[in-house]
Amino acid sequence: MKKKLTSVLAASVAMSAVLAGCGGNNDNNNGAASPSASESASPSASASASASASPSASASEPAKVENFTVSLRHIQIGEPQKFRKAILDDVVKKTESEVPGLKFELDGVEDSVNRFTKLPAEMAAGNPPKVFSLFGGAGDAQKYAKAGRLLDLTPILDELGIKDKFLNVLDSFSVDGKVYGLPIGGNTEGIFYNTELFSKYNLNPPTTWDDLVKAADTLAQNKITPFAVGSKGAWVPNMLVNTLIGRVAGEAAIPGFKSGEAKWNSPDAVAAYQLYADWEKKGYFTKGELGKEYGDMLNDFVAGKAGMMFDGSWRNSAFKNDAVGAAIAGKVAYVALPAVPNGKGDQTAVNANYGEGYGFSADLNDNELAAVKAFIKNMYSDEMQLRGLLEDGVLPSMQLSDASIAQVTDPLLKQVLDVLKSAGKTFPHFDSVVQSKVYTETETQLQKLIAGKATPQQVGDAIQKVQDAENAAAK
Amino acid sequence: MKTTLKNPYVYMLFVAPTVAMYFLFFIYPTITSFVFGFTDWDGLNARQFIGLDNFVNAFKDAEFRSSIWNNLIILLFSCCIQVPLIIVFSLLISNVKRFQGFYKTTVFMPSILSTSIIGILWGYIYDPDVGLLNNFLNLFGIDPIYWLAEPKWAMFSILLTNAWQWMGFYIVLILAAILGIPKDIDEAAMIDGATGVQRAWYLTVPLIRPIINVVIMLSIAGALRVVDIVLVMTGGGPAGSTEVMASYMVNKAIKYGDYGYGSALSIIIFVIALILTALYQLLIARRQERIEY
Amino acid sequence: MPVAVKKSIPHFFMIIYVVIILVPFLFVLFSSLKANNTEIALHPFGLPKTWVFENYKEAWVKARISVYFFNSLYLAASAAIVGVLMAAATAFAMARMKLTRISKWIYQLVLVGMLIPGNVLFIAQYFLVRDLHILDTHWALFLPYTAGALPFSVLLLVAFMHNIPHELEEAATIDGMGAIRMFWKIILPLTIPALVTVFIVNFLGNWNEYLLANFFISRDALRTLPTGMVGFRDAFQTNYALVCTGIVFSVLPVLLLYSFLQRQIIEGLTAGSVKG
Repeated sequence: MKKKLTSVLAASVAMSAVLAGCGGNNDNNNGAASPSASESASPSASASASASASPSASASEPAKVENFTVSLRHIQIGEPQKFRKAILDDVVKKTESEVPGLKFELDGVEDSVNRFTKLPAEMAAGNPPKVFSLFGGAGDAQKYAKAGRLLDLTPILDELGIKDKFLNVLDSFSVDGKVYGLPIGGNTEGIFYNTELFSKYNLNPPTTWDDLVKAADTLAQNKITPFAVGSKGAWVPNMLVNTLIGRVAGEAAIPGFKSGEAKWNSPDAVAAYQLYADWEKKGYFTKGELGKEYGDMLNDFVAGKAGMMFDGSWRNSAFKNDAVGAAIAGKVAYVALPAVPNGKGDQTAVNANYGEGYGFSADLNDNELAAVKAFIKNMYSDEMQLRGLLEDGVLPSMQLSDASIAQVTDPLLKQVLDVLKSAGKTFPHFDSVVQSKVYTETETQLQKLIAGKATPQQVGDAIQKVQDAENAAAK
Repeated sequence: MKTTLKNPYVYMLFVAPTVAMYFLFFIYPTITSFVFGFTDWDGLNARQFIGLDNFVNAFKDAEFRSSIWNNLIILLFSCCIQVPLIIVFSLLISNVKRFQGFYKTTVFMPSILSTSIIGILWGYIYDPDVGLLNNFLNLFGIDPIYWLAEPKWAMFSILLTNAWQWMGFYIVLILAAILGIPKDIDEAAMIDGATGVQRAWYLTVPLIRPIINVVIMLSIAGALRVVDIVLVMTGGGPAGSTEVMASYMVNKAIKYGDYGYGSALSIIIFVIALILTALYQLLIARRQERIEY
Repeated sequence: MPVAVKKSIPHFFMIIYVVIILVPFLFVLFSSLKANNTEIALHPFGLPKTWVFENYKEAWVKARISVYFFNSLYLAASAAIVGVLMAAATAFAMARMKLTRISKWIYQLVLVGMLIPGNVLFIAQYFLVRDLHILDTHWALFLPYTAGALPFSVLLLVAFMHNIPHELEEAATIDGMGAIRMFWKIILPLTIPALVTVFIVNFLGNWNEYLLANFFISRDALRTLPTGMVGFRDAFQTNYALVCTGIVFSVLPVLLLYSFLQRQIIEGLTAGSVKG
């Protein structure tokens, strides 16, 4: 009995020692960061630029390199994201080789989990990772920037001399002229369709409204889902809603919600939701969509269970020969949502987003700052932008030479570029415009609409109510 | 003896760590919950005192009301459907000699597994295309049911999984009580010619009454605690149809950044728990002896 | 009705129940060995046509199950052990020492703790661990787990220690034993059955905890099994075979442990709940 107890006690002491060791480690990291940072005077250009190259270090201890880790939260997980992950991995490797002692600690989290659950909680608690995937807009980058959680990148951009290289895409990451995040690339949202299925049923490409509706009806009659969709995360069906609003109410409506010039419960916006509800009623979308994930949508489309899907242009790389959608490689085409009858505004306008990018914690020590600078230098370079375009089909967020863009050979990606080129205007996604509470309300209400628990008018009224409250609070 | 066991310093040594932890992780958070609950705190900006607004809003909030309702459904399902089934199954197991140990071990097994992993597992059972359940129903010619995707099925699916996980636990609890009943009572009744069902209903059930009350109490507490399974399986969806109070509180706080409102909701959940405990004490446990200090 | 039929009725219903319990596990096990989603969809019930073990290698590497498993194990065990010892010491003081008035106060206080449903303090505890600067370390789980188990553990152990005869201590005091040694040498050994119960209850509670683990820990290397597995599911959710492999990995050790310790676990858990 006695023996047993002693061993239990010993075990518990050992356990707490392990635990203490763990916590202690962490303290070491933090502790080491502040007082001894100046010691680290690293030979790399970017690090010494942080100006604290202390003379003492260079005098006595030349080869002493302090090891440190920098946490990096990314969303490039799973098969479809593998091209983007490869680019990130190369940037990480390059940056680690440039900054002595640096080790990135990568943490891959599913996109919407990061954006809507993890990051908000960490921002509230003030302990975000040092480098993290960040979306632009009032609900994300701008909100966190105003609360002082994000690193002001303006001096770094000036130092690296890359600010002017960005296209006009930094607004949604900026507050009062200061830049707090950098979009990795851009995308537009439109219709992917399965050309094999379309020719099988003698359908025209869905470039006009009538052809689109006819295609959808024909597919539905043949027990093929017209539009694959996975609405468990409501951001997915919200893509189509956004473009429908842009078509029916005009492209100016979307920025207008926040300024008060457009209303969610205006007849136009309600008509867009009505259109969506009608399609829902006609069975245009995947059955059981509210239980389907975003990944299921691609699977259904690749398996030929669905003829079309409304998705972001980033998906084009999934249909390469060595990607998840290889089964239908070469049988996919991309078009913009066609002009809506009686729609307002420019009917050739397409949605264009430069929303997804990286942000950086405001709480960095000198070492971490050096790492962040090197990361930005390597990630936002001509080389990586071109690789993003060619390997992953992401539209560049920085200027690329015409010669570079001419290297695009992938036919699907060319179609995406053509759609953008022929667009009269572009409009943003409302998720980067409206306040986060409004955006989450659009998700809640859209799912209710899909479930048949709310009418388009009720949806519009409910969202506008939150919009009014948020607009009033902003004043 | 008197001096040793009255030494206040030793007493302090024994009690202080527990009391300190208790204050830090129970009393202090309870106080801060109350403080946060009266503010509009969003986790990012300074918080402002807004009086009772959060509480007023909570009762106007249709989503929150429906989450209370969902908790109530879970509670009623556990007490009115699960508990009778649990009693029946315990009686069944108590009546067999062979395989008794096997049945006991097997039905108990799910209750030691992590709820979140059970949530993942059942997510696949419910999958409309590859899932076991639809494939099974398909054998009888039943069309695919979108278990977790349709509001009318989703709550039922959660209830089923929850029952799958916990019923065995309660069965073993009651079984232990049944097996603890002296054999001679049962044998006497058998000689009097009472059938198995009669003996179960008139003899065994009244004798295990106290433990049934415990099971009811644990079911009530369990119904209020349900949150992991909802977060893992549906996240409260589709369209809020499986949202329970705790998951709604977590979502409001974390996703919407409404920490003030979330704290107010947590206070309301606490009050509801207190009311249910009081009701239980008054209505069910009234006659039962309680552990008194 | 013949006796044989009558006797088999309970077995008939119990076998249905047992099948319902076991079939999900078999489904997951078979699915984990199948090549792809199509095969799962086409042959949901049968054994795999060809046994595919690659999933196991892939899941082990991609999901870092060993890391999650170890984190869960040592957090659950250390928090449970520390909690048991703290509760035992407190229960000893309250049940055996002669400062009854303050003991009564503490008892009432702890009783209130039993009434607070676990999740209610989630938000406040989140900001508490932030203010303690232990967010995203294992302390952020260890401390709440230890503390969270205290009310139940103390109440159970007080009830148990009350029933230990007083003669033992009297003899011990005559031998000149102090209170601390009395606790270690006499009361604690006698309390072992209750301690085991409390330990098992707390261990399983910690082992399975999801809510705090999901929000108090961000770094992948620190994640516990429940949150790690949900993250894995989110990442590979359309690859059913792979996720099923992950489930097998996370369930198997628990089931193995259960098959050896089932008697202790069942008795521990049920005894604890009845008395608590």
